[in-house]
Amino acid sequence: MSTAGGIIRALNSGVKHLAIRRFTLRYPEQKLKFVGDGFQFNPETGVGIAGLRGRHILYHEHCTGCQLCSVACEGIAEAIGMVKVNETWKQNKKAIMPQIDYGKCVFCGLCVDACPFYALYMTNDYELSSFTKSALIYTPAQLAIKPKISQDVEIKIDDRGASHG
Amino acid sequence: MTTQLPPGIQLENIDDRIMTLNVGPQHPGSGHMRLIIKVDGDYIVSCDPDPGYVHRGEEKMAEYRNYIQNIPHLERPVIHDSSNILYPYCLAVEELLGIEVPERAKYIRVIAAELNRCIYILYWLAIYGIFLGHSTMFMWPAGDRELFIDLLEAMSGARVTHAYLVPGGVRNDLPANFEERCLRQVDYFEKRLKEYQAVFYKNPILISRTEGTGILSRTDAIRLGTTGSVLRASGVNFDIRKKEPYDVYENLDFEPVVMKEGDSYARSYVPYLEMFESCRIIRDAIRKMPKSGSVRTKLKPNPKGGNDEVYKRVESGRGALGYYIVSNNRPEPYRVKISVGSFRNLICMPYLLKGELLGNMPAVYWSLNYWPVEADR
Repeated sequence: MSTAGGIIRALNSGVKHLAIRRFTLRYPEQKLKFVGDGFQFNPETGVGIAGLRGRHILYHEHCTGCQLCSVACEGIAEAIGMVKVNETWKQNKKAIMPQIDYGKCVFCGLCVDACPFYALYMTNDYELSSFTKSALIYTPAQLAIKPKISQDVEIKIDDRGASHG
Repeated sequence: MTTQLPPGIQLENIDDRIMTLNVGPQHPGSGHMRLIIKVDGDYIVSCDPDPGYVHRGEEKMAEYRNYIQNIPHLERPVIHDSSNILYPYCLAVEELLGIEVPERAKYIRVIAAELNRCIYILYWLAIYGIFLGHSTMFMWPAGDRELFIDLLEAMSGARVTHAYLVPGGVRNDLPANFEERCLRQVDYFEKRLKEYQAVFYKNPILISRTEGTGILSRTDAIRLGTTGSVLRASGVNFDIRKKEPYDVYENLDFEPVVMKEGDSYARSYVPYLEMFESCRIIRDAIRKMPKSGSVRTKLKPNPKGGNDEVYKRVESGRGALGYYIVSNNRPEPYRVKISVGSFRNLICMPYLLKGELLGNMPAVYWSLNYWPVEADR
């Protein structure tokens, strides 16, 4: 193969891409769709349910304050601390619930695996940036809020290549 | 002219012709490591690799955490090949604790490992492109990598550090319609891979820079103890997936890629061809996988290993990756030794760079498939 021919073939291969749709996801306008409502775990079978491991959601009516999520996080990120809450639940005599520091959390989801009471799951919400460090610490009340998300873009593959939406 | 030096300081013998260059440790052409290179004009006289700048004590950290808590931090050395670095750990702990893995989980682990191998090779190829000044070859693999990252995200829920493989199987079952989506994206990816040929591998500029540089002969490759794509590019047919098959690799249909040239070109071409084999494995695994069943064996809380020691190894993106775990009846391992392919391949760098042009240094260095963070652990 001649040098000039090879270079022309290489350039030609690149030029062809001018006609192909762009693959880049235009992120703040477009958001990728994920499977399911986030990573969940079934303690009876010991197997999780597929989903994105974003920020957690805490179901106050199920949490017993057993601290197993906090114990699981010891030695991993040490992001979970148990705090007192001003609520009365009959399953939670001590009235303590997890508080999660997202400055430390590595989103491994092993706290969800540890929860035996279907109380702690993860959601599709991954936009957690804030202006202060203290705003990254989510209290049990903040964790109970279901995130509002609009993620609808999927990879589309056709004859003209792959693209997002 | 002997001047009195303060104690502890040594001066090297200075030759007028020889100049010492420090490439790194913060240099885009070296990663987190330093190459002490002595040059005579444009030619390298000697090269002394100096790793260790990103050592973070993974092995020591593993002694203070139980077998499950070890998972997130053990994948940090190679975050873009995280399934493959966890694979031997899971195999070793399973043998230590005597856990049976469900059949479906074995196939899912193979699919995750092969997808992750492709992600690693594409990342490596993108950097190889930019090292050689080929910015198109940075953009294309970095974009196509997204196809596989999305697949693993659907599988495991995380884009980079998946923490998906655990002793006893995998964390969660595949999502609905995953097989169909995976096959569609793998088919498209193979089509894309073929386009790399004209723009990169058949490009005369790349060939002139890599062909015939840094030749590692077959005997030298064996003598220096290299592994992975470096070894296979020198004509040795050694792939742990074939020689010591783990999980279900013996049932799957693939051929290790072997080239006999042993130069930088062959070392960069072998991982590229391996991606086709990975796609073949993924397709075969999806076909042979049991359609339903359990994917994880339930562990006791805080499981204890007996008085035992295990060594398990797998073929990662950079070669043989092994874990040697000693346990002494405690929930934590007594000792964890990680043997990584990157560090094994580092040894041939002084041999290959001797007598090379300084301009060929990045082409030879990065073709060794060396990942500094993994080598330092």
